[in-house]
Amino acid sequence: MAGTWAVRIAFAAALFSSVAYYMTLRAKKAEWARAARLSFLVAAAGVILASAMLLIDILTHQFQYTYVWSYSSTDLSTPLLISTFYAGQEGSFLLWALYTAIIGLVLMSYSRKKGIELQVMTVFALVQAVLLLLVVVKNPFEYVWQSFAGEAQAGSVPENGRGLNPLLQNFWMVIHPPILFTGFAAMSVPFAFAVAGLWRREYQAWITSAAPWMLFAVVTLGAGIMLGGYWAYETLGWGGYWGWDPVENSSFIPWLFAVGAVHTMLAQRKTGRYIRSTFVLSILGFLLVLYSTFLTRSGVLGETSVHSFGEPGMGVYALLVGLIVLFTAIGFIAYFNRVKEIPKPAGQRSYWSREFMLYLGAMILIALGLYVLVGTSAPLITGFFQPKPSAVDISFYPKGAVPLSIIMSLLIAISQLIWWQRSEPKVVVRSMIYPAGAAVLATVALLPFGLNQIAPILVVFGAFFGLFANLVAGYRIFRGNPRYVGGALAHIGVGVMLLGFVGSSQYDTKQTISLPQGETVEALGYKLTYLGNHPIEGEKFAFDVKVEREGKSYTLAPVMFYSEYNKGIMRNPDIAMRATYDFYIEPQSLEQPQQSDPGTQLVLKKGETKEVAGYRVTFVDFQVDRSAMMAGDPMGTRMPPISAKLLVERAGKSETVVPSFKILQGGNAEAVPAWTADRAGEFQILTLQPDREKPEKSSVTLAVRTGAQPAPSQTRETLIIEASVKPFVGFVWLGTLVLICGVIVSIIRRAKEARQQ
Amino acid sequence: MKAKTIVVGVIIVGFIIFGAYSFLQSNVEYTNFPQAERSGKKVQVAGNWVKDRDSYFDPKTDSFVFYMKDTDDNTMKVVLDGAKPNNFEIATGVVVKGKCENGAFHATEALTKCPSKYEAKSIKEMKAS
Repeated sequence: MAGTWAVRIAFAAALFSSVAYYMTLRAKKAEWARAARLSFLVAAAGVILASAMLLIDILTHQFQYTYVWSYSSTDLSTPLLISTFYAGQEGSFLLWALYTAIIGLVLMSYSRKKGIELQVMTVFALVQAVLLLLVVVKNPFEYVWQSFAGEAQAGSVPENGRGLNPLLQNFWMVIHPPILFTGFAAMSVPFAFAVAGLWRREYQAWITSAAPWMLFAVVTLGAGIMLGGYWAYETLGWGGYWGWDPVENSSFIPWLFAVGAVHTMLAQRKTGRYIRSTFVLSILGFLLVLYSTFLTRSGVLGETSVHSFGEPGMGVYALLVGLIVLFTAIGFIAYFNRVKEIPKPAGQRSYWSREFMLYLGAMILIALGLYVLVGTSAPLITGFFQPKPSAVDISFYPKGAVPLSIIMSLLIAISQLIWWQRSEPKVVVRSMIYPAGAAVLATVALLPFGLNQIAPILVVFGAFFGLFANLVAGYRIFRGNPRYVGGALAHIGVGVMLLGFVGSSQYDTKQTISLPQGETVEALGYKLTYLGNHPIEGEKFAFDVKVEREGKSYTLAPVMFYSEYNKGIMRNPDIAMRATYDFYIEPQSLEQPQQSDPGTQLVLKKGETKEVAGYRVTFVDFQVDRSAMMAGDPMGTRMPPISAKLLVERAGKSETVVPSFKILQGGNAEAVPAWTADRAGEFQILTLQPDREKPEKSSVTLAVRTGAQPAPSQTRETLIIEASVKPFVGFVWLGTLVLICGVIVSIIRRAKEARQQ
Repeated sequence: MKAKTIVVGVIIVGFIIFGAYSFLQSNVEYTNFPQAERSGKKVQVAGNWVKDRDSYFDPKTDSFVFYMKDTDDNTMKVVLDGAKPNNFEIATGVVVKGKCENGAFHATEALTKCPSKYEAKSIKEMKAS
């Protein structure tokens, strides 16, 4: 109850703060300013309090709250429990509001020092209020008896929660969403600065103040995106780090606009040009965060994506649409009211200048952003023309991304070699000779390794060109002033990433392979042998695959397990990471041997002996896998793995044969047959009738098959995997790290400049 | 100034045409099996798994074979690249993406639609399970 009210009070306070800031400008009275600041503090305190309460409710298992009940359970570790804070829509909106509040506290004093507090905070407090309105509507403090009126009694507390989706139960869930939401929250700061700049008719100064914030948004959003990619690659087994999925695209699009804005901001700072572009991009970046949230949170894509978005209800849908309309109106009414006044710099614009290259770079980023935006919005667009909305095939995205990244990589190289204001074409061309020559050599050196298509050749050349040009420029800058090396470093990272993209996507070789147990299969230049499976962590199964190549051998163990939560099989890949390539195994399924021969049926009580097909068979006892029993009841069945110990005699020779019921997939018990040593007789359990009270009355029904010896490959279980060799995928992560370091160096530099302003 | 406007205009219009063209090319429309057979284009078909016809994994082609009935009640054999999709048994519907070849639907992708699993419909369901 208190949490609900904390959120409501925070919403009211934020809204009042925005109005009061506006009234300070209107009425020009200091009382309004004091009230505005105080109420923003109240709003921030309310959000922080509500967040702390939700966290405590989660940690102390207060399952009377629907949200806590829906996403957490008593068996989760503390870091995972904390991560259930943002496992659902309600909590992630609250987290977004929390970060916005914290940023708002910093921003209040920052903008006050710049003398633009009143305008900046009018806008920012409104952003805060609207986010809080989402939390008011999607309330994480709702009780189960409110959510399920008539089903749950008021005051009743469920014993345990539904738990966290196993897909989310890993380290990446703990760090990926918080970083991503920091980026989302940070994107509203440049928006507030841009609107304030227009409002105050100060068209230049705001850019210096906004630049470090924009860079901060770029680095947090970018790191969040790539962490998500690494998560998908390493744990989820989506086969790659990037699938152009709406959820991935929805953070990528605003990121591209933010990066574009960073480039026009830099051009403005040096030359006073491209102010209008900077305004438009800063406004659009924030609007696209809202639009992306709408796409992924409103249910409009629900029918067309692999992700499950849930049905948030009409309230959130209408609210999100209203939000976009509101801030689009604020941003663009302010812009179009002032656009004619925005000063145009004197003097002739030179196309042979760094600022023009930066501008072109920004436009390429925006073109890519719009291209991805149109693709991601396909279900909305096609809904108008088709009876049933459909998503674009993911092949749509590379068609646009590849040519644009070729142009981008060339611009990355050229803009490091060209001067501000005006350069002599001859001088620029001369300075390009060495990096371009080195790039040609590096590209040619890769031709014998299968680089033989025109588009990848161009991307690789561009990436090397950009890389070398920035290495040379970066080295020179570093010797001058290491603090200025951010830009060059970031672009070195982009070059490395592009090489990784080409290698891992264009030269990825992939094959679905059937591996009968114990049989060596050759594929992709590897010898693969499925050795068998063993349980790990109680409920999961690791499938050991021996990998041999060039005399070296190692074992990869991808994991599959049945998840009661998802009612399906979860799969985790295993990866051998090498310097120049990754060998990636994704498990697909385990196929049990097909039996066409029904065999002879035989019912045996415990201790009983019967003769069948020339065998004297004695049912000794059941054997229960105690270790699996200890692990509880993970499969959602009431039966631990169980096997029947049989004594089998033929022609005076006796041996023990132990067929079993293996519980692995779908919660169904699957019979695993066992053979006599000469493989002539096969014994399979059909049904079990254990009797706990009178064990002597326990019985087992068997199928006994003899005679024709089936081919071994048909009688063994077969592991189906998808194996792939992904060259240079490590470059993607390395490039990302370098890019992030570069942006951080730039943030330090631009923050200092903003302080000195 | 004129020349510049023309150049910029041509680039923008060219990019838009390119984008629209690849959009239309990549837009995989929903249809039914007879239409898919006639057009031979890559399409999506929504429907249900016919559970009483046989379904199996074929290790020779590494594909999963099953029969599917589309929303207009046309049944066709579907050959899906890879193994049996997740949640296949409990799915309330199946969407396959691919094209018709030699009397069978060759699917590169299959999406199974499941009864709402992330959002609890009822607390009673939870207690019962």
